[in-house]
Amino acid sequence: MGRNGINRRNFMQQSAMFAAAFAAGSGGMFRQAQAAREKELNILCWEGYNSAEVLDPFRTEMDATVKAESLTNDPTMINRLRAGETNVWDLINVNNPWARKIMYPEGLIKPLDKATFEPYFANMLPGFEWPYPWCMSEDGSELLGMIQRFGPYSFVVNTDKVSRATAEDVGWDLFNDPANAGKYGILESDDWNVFDICLIAGFDPFRDHTDDEVAKFAETASKVFKGAKVVGDIATMNQAFVAGEIDFHMTGGVYSASPARADGFLNIRGITPNKGPMPGGKGGVAWIEVTSLVNNPELSPLASKFLEYVQDPEVSHTVAFAEGTFNPVTQMGDPKCFELFTPDELEAIQWDSLGEEMAKSAEYDIVPDYDKLLDLMTAAKREASGG
Amino acid sequence: MSERRITAGAWSASPVILFLLIGFAAPLAAIIVFSFMPPRTFGFGGQPTFENYVTIFESTTYISLLWSLGFAAMTVVILAFICYPVAYGLVRVFGRWSTLVTLLFVIPLFVSENVRLYGWLLFFIKNGVLLGSLKSMFGLDLESILFTRGIVLFGMVYVYIPFMLFPLTLGISMVPNETREAARDLGATRWQVFREVELPLSLPGLMIGSLLTFVLAVGAIAEAKVLGGQQIIPIAHDIEIAFTYAQNWPLGAALSVLLMLIVGALVLLVLRRVDLDRLLGRR
Repeated sequence: MGRNGINRRNFMQQSAMFAAAFAAGSGGMFRQAQAAREKELNILCWEGYNSAEVLDPFRTEMDATVKAESLTNDPTMINRLRAGETNVWDLINVNNPWARKIMYPEGLIKPLDKATFEPYFANMLPGFEWPYPWCMSEDGSELLGMIQRFGPYSFVVNTDKVSRATAEDVGWDLFNDPANAGKYGILESDDWNVFDICLIAGFDPFRDHTDDEVAKFAETASKVFKGAKVVGDIATMNQAFVAGEIDFHMTGGVYSASPARADGFLNIRGITPNKGPMPGGKGGVAWIEVTSLVNNPELSPLASKFLEYVQDPEVSHTVAFAEGTFNPVTQMGDPKCFELFTPDELEAIQWDSLGEEMAKSAEYDIVPDYDKLLDLMTAAKREASGG
Repeated sequence: MSERRITAGAWSASPVILFLLIGFAAPLAAIIVFSFMPPRTFGFGGQPTFENYVTIFESTTYISLLWSLGFAAMTVVILAFICYPVAYGLVRVFGRWSTLVTLLFVIPLFVSENVRLYGWLLFFIKNGVLLGSLKSMFGLDLESILFTRGIVLFGMVYVYIPFMLFPLTLGISMVPNETREAARDLGATRWQVFREVELPLSLPGLMIGSLLTFVLAVGAIAEAKVLGGQQIIPIAHDIEIAFTYAQNWPLGAALSVLLMLIVGALVLLVLRRVDLDRLLGRR
């Protein structure tokens, strides 16, 4: 007889009992987990909303377990829902076109209560008033999400090397000039780089493209990647700017330049071209995040409460300056929120030119032939590395 | 009696077998099945197809594959030359300092690979630790070597040092002192002792270190991204793009399966030519 009452003869019997007890225990845990959704919230988001500064006060106030996973591209987040994770997440935070054009028609998100959320639009910056189209369903009847962070996002220059005026006037042709080969970087943000290669090639990214345009896209992608000194993340781009390795980089804007600007490097500046091939002669692209309720069969009641919580002026300011990147928020239309921003913070987010940059930008949209263009760009990048 | 023992053994091993099936075989099987699903689908319900493999063979993926295999092979060769003398020193020369030297190689492993690579980025970047110091101290204004292919190789050699060094140390420590002494007594020169006694007897360590380093280095991605500024696109990066921006999970799965097959075949080829059991003295 073993010390614990287990011997060779009764080993299997004991093991079966342990297994049964474990199964019963986990079954109980599962039931508990279901019942505890009132105190649990799961958020799939871009970085910032997952920071302790934003989440901890909400956790304390609601005595809840809040988990947030941050990713840095929209398609991955949306496909996580498509792959069946709608029963995991309560909130999804992605860029503007996805809620209205993709996620709601596919049944991945559910509408918000208009009576609760419409009043918040009264305090938003001009241009984001109710009914803000990217928050609404295509027929305008449903509110599909709330907006907060936004920003122009085209390219960034070191103004000590290329003046703001020159960069705005020359625009995307900076990347067409063979003399600039080896002087620029490319941010590893491949979905946005598809937009930018279209703009460098001289056509609107957000519509179907002819065979000639597709061929021009491939040729431009090859040229742009061959001329790049470095392809990397935001930290690498800003470090390369500060060290003098590069003079400008695409894709970029307030979102990517703000960490360096907040560190005092005000010569690093997001640029929106004065002209471009998009409707209205626009040359820049801007993003607006929309946060929506996931169509979770067991949606946490805290999801809606969290969306209300982040509308608060102080929380909005925290979201704008949460860890990672710094961005303007639509809630800055409320003086109580705006006065929380220090002059240095306003400088970091290029408040002085924000209005005109947004006016010169088209809003991020779905590229109908994105898959084809991305494959061409990936091949161009690979071939540039082999040449 | 023996039959009964086998049954009891199998039962006892069943938790481990179950764990391996769920934790290792199932994900692998999922990847293999996924590689035959139609492009840009997200479930296992599609009509099986070879389309993903055709896409790979029709594309320029071979460039990434060659970069990965080539850089992994170069890393192994360079590390063999760097690590052999260090391992020799650890076993035979450094004496009580060996522990300290070993610690110097082990401690960096406690820091994330990305953090260490960003440290090197700050070291090598223009006006950084190296070039900035040379400029301010000696007035030398040298070109940065960052974002080049050479620095990618440097990064890989740096990151994979322990995976070559420690198997080699073990291999060299397995060489009995008596064999060296006997060789010297029989009139062998230092070089002959090394070439004809120490090197052949320490080969198991070199082989294991080389295999380990090669398999890990073929999947390297961070060095090319952080230090190389993506001047080369290794195969692991292609796989990452397929699973993220392209959202083409079946293509990513097919690339992964191909990489596993190629690396598996290369490893088997080496193992067939080199009998590790014999080298390790088990037969």
